[in-house]
Amino acid sequence: MLSPIQVLCSDITTLSLEPEPFASYTEADIISTVEFNHTGELLATGDKGGRVVIFQREPESKCEPFSQGEYNVYSTFQSHEPEFDYLKSLEIEEKINKIRWLPQQNAAHFLLSTNDKTIKLWKVSERDKRPEGYNLKDEEGRIKDLSTITSLQVPVLMPMDLMVEVSPRRVFANAHTYHVNSISVNSDYQTYMSADDLRINLWHLDITDRSFNIVDIKPANMEDLTEVITAAEFHPHHCNLFVYSSSKGTLRLCDMREAALCDKHSKLFEEPEDPSARSFFSEIISSVSDVKFSHSGRYLLTRDYLTAKVWDLNMESKPLETYQVHDYLRSKLCSLYENDCIFDKFECAWNGSDSVIMTGAYNNFFRMFDRNTKRDVTLEASRESSKPRAVLKPRRVCAAGGKRRKDDISVDSLDFTKKILHTAWHPTENIIAIAATNNLYIFQDKLNSELH
Amino acid sequence: MIMKGQKRKPPPEEVEVSDRSSPMWESQRQFVFSVSLNKYHHGQELPEPSLRRSVLIANTLRQVSLEAFAAPSVDMEMSPPPCSSSSALHESVVTAKQHPAETFSALVSCPTVTLNDLSYCVPASNAPLSLKDEDEDWGSMSMDSDFSLSAAISSILTALDSTIDSSSQAAPRTPLRSLENLSAPSDGGVAWVKQGLRGYGGGWEQQEEGRAWESSTELMRCSYLSELTVEDLFQDIDTSLLERDMEVLGLIGSGGGCLTGDDLLRYLPPFSSSPPSHPFSLSLNQNLKCLPSLSSFGPLSSSSSLPSLSSPHFSSQNHVREGLDLEHLMEILVES
Repeated sequence: MLSPIQVLCSDITTLSLEPEPFASYTEADIISTVEFNHTGELLATGDKGGRVVIFQREPESKCEPFSQGEYNVYSTFQSHEPEFDYLKSLEIEEKINKIRWLPQQNAAHFLLSTNDKTIKLWKVSERDKRPEGYNLKDEEGRIKDLSTITSLQVPVLMPMDLMVEVSPRRVFANAHTYHVNSISVNSDYQTYMSADDLRINLWHLDITDRSFNIVDIKPANMEDLTEVITAAEFHPHHCNLFVYSSSKGTLRLCDMREAALCDKHSKLFEEPEDPSARSFFSEIISSVSDVKFSHSGRYLLTRDYLTAKVWDLNMESKPLETYQVHDYLRSKLCSLYENDCIFDKFECAWNGSDSVIMTGAYNNFFRMFDRNTKRDVTLEASRESSKPRAVLKPRRVCAAGGKRRKDDISVDSLDFTKKILHTAWHPTENIIAIAATNNLYIFQDKLNSELH
Repeated sequence: MIMKGQKRKPPPEEVEVSDRSSPMWESQRQFVFSVSLNKYHHGQELPEPSLRRSVLIANTLRQVSLEAFAAPSVDMEMSPPPCSSSSALHESVVTAKQHPAETFSALVSCPTVTLNDLSYCVPASNAPLSLKDEDEDWGSMSMDSDFSLSAAISSILTALDSTIDSSSQAAPRTPLRSLENLSAPSDGGVAWVKQGLRGYGGGWEQQEEGRAWESSTELMRCSYLSELTVEDLFQDIDTSLLERDMEVLGLIGSGGGCLTGDDLLRYLPPFSSSPPSHPFSLSLNQNLKCLPSLSSFGPLSSSSSLPSLSSPHFSSQNHVREGLDLEHLMEILVES
């Protein structure tokens, strides 16, 4: 059973998978999404070049107790290619915006990957046996001379080197005018939704030629557009409920039983604005960049530019908890607006027991908040501090003018090009995956691993 | 703190000022305004245009404008300088970006510019200048008008800026041929009209409809948040006048209603610098302002056919006509 206190107080062991040091990376290598599957055995990453890399966790080995749990590359494939929309003279990026795994129902694994316009269903299957002893073909596959065949044999399945085959099973295209930002698999395991800036569509996994539009916030006159959809997710247990967030900082819970078109929300979660904290950037920093249901389905976790908030589904008026991710940036909003950093979309994640939340920040920092003890920690995902088996040291950012301790980083020396936008938490264990630009870091709770 | 390679423009101050009466508030507001304007203008040229980003910037622009209007004292110049060339306009726009504090004075002191320079003309008489004098005429909208005018002007300036800046997505502009050289079934003529109207339609509307007194927010909103479809464009045109003329010439009767672009142009009333009392009822809606618009994110229905102006080869020749020069269009209209 997970013990949330250990994650924060204990040391974090690093099992990082990085390319060789000093290798320069291209923009296509920038990781754009990270996702564990439902058992945590597989971890998928998508990058800007349209590739998907799947890592598999090595089974625990008794003889080598410390190598258990390492993630190694399982499969790599090109999911999306760049396209050109001739009608609008626009290039459609091949960048993978989201990957979502389907729950495993047979030996094969299925995942959905999407770029700005097209969602694809991929089948990942293993082949570790092959038939040998054909009658009509020899070992190299050449047709045998019939006159040489004197007896019949039954082909036998012989073990072979493991081969992972990936094939596209469905392509869900031409349903989105705007850029797809989220996909979410329904708990019925038959449908899923895709959300773009203005619309949300409901698909059946077996049907590619049509989808149902369930949310449409496009105004009749585009002049009146002031709000866009930023993220959407299905409830983990109730297949009729889903939530979507907006650029104005609101969350809307919708019930598909109420109407075919869920423009009218069942619940609206919005925190009233604090008039004393109002600034020119109030709206921009209130824009929700990610929304996640808790595993229990009782809570919602949202991330806006400066905070992470936990909402109770039963309370719409204000969040249950608010965590300051990097409040020291509040006085820097002018500059961050100027250099566009204020538009960065950070993701957030729950741990398996919904007791700890995690989100990324700048300078390759990421933060974890324990909801019970109210303690938090800032850690860094960098090559220097992440030698294998090394323990991560908590970091601290001191606000300008504050008391500065040794090893503290001052706000002005933060590197805003190193941002951790994508993070994922293992569904049951204390293993986290952090995407830092083109590097993937996987951290594990040391204390937890020692108990095995 | 700054991205590598970016020239740093010092923000007026680092601390967020929520107190409106603070002197820093105004400078910060102007800074935000100019940065927002700049961002929105260049937003379309990003490798990855984002609707969310554009909407947020537009909302910020709107909010900043509103706050300026609501501010107790707005320091703006009152008298317009004499007519200056478009180059000065560009300069002022460019300098506005670099000197945020001067943005408003540069914009409010709107120079009158000639259409030949692809700019638009605001006769001095139309500009309500003084906050105090125009109270009787404009009522409580005086501050609205003053600021809304500057806002309108700024938005139109950026529109002009955008037409001059060749964005990577703009179709290549070809010079406008004179009317006489047009071949008879000018299928692209429809687009020709559209482009010409788009170019200065915004300015025209400003004059003839006296919209300067509209609230700044509305102007801001409608000038660049548009989804222009060709159908929308022509739905606004009241072709009753034209049809009458066309019938006289027997064009509609014989041609089966296929109105060609050059014919349409021929019958447009001549443009003059003073606002016509009753122009052909081309109530150009705000969609025609050629600001970078959110419509680029939306479906482009260029292939849609128009009710009485349809042409089978419209879309194929569309892009050829698209880059027509306003100057030439002006000449043609004056000639006709």
